Amino acid sequence: MTDALVLNDLRKSYGEREAVKGISFSIKEGEIFGLIGPNGAGKTTTLRMICTLLTPTSGTITVCGHDNIAEAAEVRKIISYLPEDAGAYKDLTGRQYLKFMAGFFASGQEFEDMVSKAIELSKLGERIDSKVSTYSKGMARRLLIARAVMASPKLAVMDEITSGLDVMSAYEIREFVRELAREGVTILISSHNMYEVESLCDRVAMINHGSLVLTGTPAELREEYCANNLEEVFIKAVRGAGQ
Amino acid sequence: MNHLVNITKKELRELLTPGTIASILIVVIMFSALGTAMSGESEKESAPKEIGIVYTGDFSETLITDSATSTSYTLQTVLEAAYKSVYGVDNPADHIHVMTAAYGDSKAISDECAANGYSVALVIPAELKTNLSGNIRTTVNMYYTYSHGGIFGSVSSLTGTVFMNNINTIISKVLIDNSTGNEDKTAFSMSPLSAGTDYTTINGQICEGVTPYQIFSSLMGQSMIIPIIVMIIIVMVGSVVISSMGSEKENKTLETLLTMPIKRTTVVSGKLLAAAIMGLVYGVCYLAGMMMYSNGLTSGLSGTSVDLSKYGLVMDTLDWVILMVVLFLAIFCALGICMILGAFTKNYKMAQTMTLPISGLAIIPMFIFMFTSWENLPAIGQAVVFAIPFSHPMMAMDNLMFGDMMLVAEGIAYLAILDIVMILITVKIYNSDILITGLEQSKFFGRLSRMFKRKEEENEYR
Repeated sequence: MTDALVLNDLRKSYGEREAVKGISFSIKEGEIFGLIGPNGAGKTTTLRMICTLLTPTSGTITVCGHDNIAEAAEVRKIISYLPEDAGAYKDLTGRQYLKFMAGFFASGQEFEDMVSKAIELSKLGERIDSKVSTYSKGMARRLLIARAVMASPKLAVMDEITSGLDVMSAYEIREFVRELAREGVTILISSHNMYEVESLCDRVAMINHGSLVLTGTPAELREEYCANNLEEVFIKAVRGAGQ
Repeated sequence: MNHLVNITKKELRELLTPGTIASILIVVIMFSALGTAMSGESEKESAPKEIGIVYTGDFSETLITDSATSTSYTLQTVLEAAYKSVYGVDNPADHIHVMTAAYGDSKAISDECAANGYSVALVIPAELKTNLSGNIRTTVNMYYTYSHGGIFGSVSSLTGTVFMNNINTIISKVLIDNSTGNEDKTAFSMSPLSAGTDYTTINGQICEGVTPYQIFSSLMGQSMIIPIIVMIIIVMVGSVVISSMGSEKENKTLETLLTMPIKRTTVVSGKLLAAAIMGLVYGVCYLAGMMMYSNGLTSGLSGTSVDLSKYGLVMDTLDWVILMVVLFLAIFCALGICMILGAFTKNYKMAQTMTLPISGLAIIPMFIFMFTSWENLPAIGQAVVFAIPFSHPMMAMDNLMFGDMMLVAEGIAYLAILDIVMILITVKIYNSDILITGLEQSKFFGRLSRMFKRKEEENEYR
């Protein structure tokens, strides 16, 4: 299996403050990879750098063989990003929103197929023609995830995918992510929900104060930290890093 | 699908919702209706007024006799002749009313005026006749009712002044007749000079029968309205764009959009183009509505307006096209500034306060051009006004009509350059981290912010 994403000594400074301090890890194709860490650890900054929204101060990011800075346009064709608490354009209907987004990836029949696929994935039924402003949080999230995967990205980056959702909606979305991974999409998720990360991810990396603290499969980490679950691993790792 | 078209279509769909289209139409209809209402109001104000007279003497008693023509004048005939010369009506007696209030009782006079709707009341002392024969000047007091403000609020005092002047003229003529005994000599004495034809040079061409005041009166509508419309459009469109940016940031739709496989230039251009189209739609509709309002306002006022087309002061199709180009470029520039300001907003609420600089830039030239013109400004004022991009559409109509094409061309060139600069700056910002992280994360502003925090901490510590 080849690498879908490779981070090499990635750093990001905001003025004199270094938010990300030399992170290196890689994700294999088709893997679900979890990025965890306390608030302000540098997770979102890392995800934004991967998605070409922020420029790294130093280090490299390679997405499916493309350099993230030199080939940013190519990278944007093969990734999709779902920010935390993201919304859609409230004055558009779900269908109009999907058509708008699909317009950046395809035209003609391919465009029509992409929109149909996204509508199906969103499971919004007749509500696809309602305005986004009338959607519940779960419905809006399903629409956004459908948008994120409709262009068949090679790497999907999702920040807090089930944040604020009820149990049923969160469950459905996790199932949806598993299905995507089975179809070969590489997924990088960031979450505070340790149960979610443990049940979804093949491998996990934890960052704290901008540095990589640990990386491995959930089982490896539980064993390494003599913990019953990933939550305990998280707490031990954070406390250990703080000492 | 072309990405620029895709973004522009989406932006237009968001900006031109049924709600906004309805509001534009309502404004046009409202201005048109207001214009019609104002037309009726101005006609009403220029109609013959009711005048009250307080006079304790005898109205039908002969006041003065013209020895040259052997005509006797009573106060009644003097007043009617004066009224007729003001309004040109055949029944002046119907508009002159003898009041019952006592001479000197201001309260009673004022109340009677208000109760009967008299625009003005002339209070003439009973000694008028003896004063005239004794060469003593008589003091006549006038009472007005100021019932409303606005442009028509001063009409009653104008009526009183003109009426009083005419009474003076009639009596003066009789007095001079009596001293000269020759009517022709009196006519000459009262008016040794006669006003001939007025000549005004417009655009280098000598025009007959028109005064600068008449031209000003006819142009007043557009001179006042164009700056207001441009200001409204700039502020409105600017506010829409900044709010849209604030909303995009708050909803994180901007983050999603920036990870799409499109150039940042396309994102910026699409947003600018859509907002500029919307601004132009607003502009044309508001212009039409305000013009209807202005025409309604001036149509009822006769005597001051002239047919400007007779003097070449008319906008032809090319002039209108040029005006729209200037307006479009100015709107585009405003949008560029708003996109730059919008990049620093964090949310919708913060975006609302960011419109202040753009409002200030639009209001300054508006006030200047409502009261003066480019030519009347000192050199430094001209430099400042020229530098403000929104000045150009405000003064374009005057310049186009008065043939100052060089200033219009310079304005277009300046706006085009400014637009390009704005786009480049916007694209630069869109390509930088600032758009996502805000100013606080940049080196310079980070240091500045820490410096202020340190100062605050020091002050608190003291």
